[in-house]
Amino acid sequence: MNSVGEACTELKREYDQCFNRWFAEKFLKGENAGDPCVQLFKRYQLCVQKAIKEKDIPIEGLEFMGPSKGKAENSS
Amino acid sequence: MKIWTSEHVFDHPWETVTTAAMQKYPNPMNPSVIGVDVLDRHIDPSGKLHSHRLLSTEWGMPSIVKSLIGACRTKTYVQEHSVVDPMKKTMELKSSNISFTNLVSVDERLIYKPHPQEPEKTILTQEAIISVKGISVSSYLEGLMENTISSNANKGREALEWVISKLNAEIEEFTASARGSMRTSMAAAAFVEK
Repeated sequence: MNSVGEACTELKREYDQCFNRWFAEKFLKGENAGDPCVQLFKRYQLCVQKAIKEKDIPIEGLEFMGPSKGKAENSS
Repeated sequence: MKIWTSEHVFDHPWETVTTAAMQKYPNPMNPSVIGVDVLDRHIDPSGKLHSHRLLSTEWGMPSIVKSLIGACRTKTYVQEHSVVDPMKKTMELKSSNISFTNLVSVDERLIYKPHPQEPEKTILTQEAIISVKGISVSSYLEGLMENTISSNANKGREALEWVISKLNAEIEEFTASARGSMRTSMAAAAFVEK
């Protein structure tokens, strides 16, 4: 699956792989010891935000919360 | 304004369906979804996972239309907010269009839960609220859209079944190759011992 920004597709794939594994193997089993994919997400996010601005996609009312903002920081 | 609702039972446990729902795209039943991006993801103080996603869709306009209006403008966008509660075993998904909001708004809500009587199955309840701006043709257009939403909902369920089979096949392949390499190393160990 591609990203909205063509340049972000590889970063997206790396992040998705990490997330899907954590989601099925940890999160759904109640093991919420923290998100191991934070770094990958940050890099992917920077790319996506840039692409959205460039393409003028009308995202309103969606706050771009980085992974460190407003999150329940469990020990990781 | 029209409200369309439906209920469906998947013959799979809630964890399987939820995992598949998070990886729903790409799939052959929804070829128009060409991009999915996570805009935000976080766990709230009660342990629920929130995800905000952007879906890019391309409706296969004839190339002459694309060359006239520009390829970028043939894409439409949908934003999606999902909440997964691993303790209560619920996944709620809300989506709405962010393109053409001056013409139409389509809001969908899906809830996946374990089936109350058969816990190894999952029940999906979904609803869509459609409103078309402008008065005279709106109920006809809304009727048209309702049929599309209903047939898309079927496609959506088929899509999840497809993703679930794919994930199961990947697990089997991985297990088979792990068994294969275990046998090889056991045989090698036995040979060395001799």
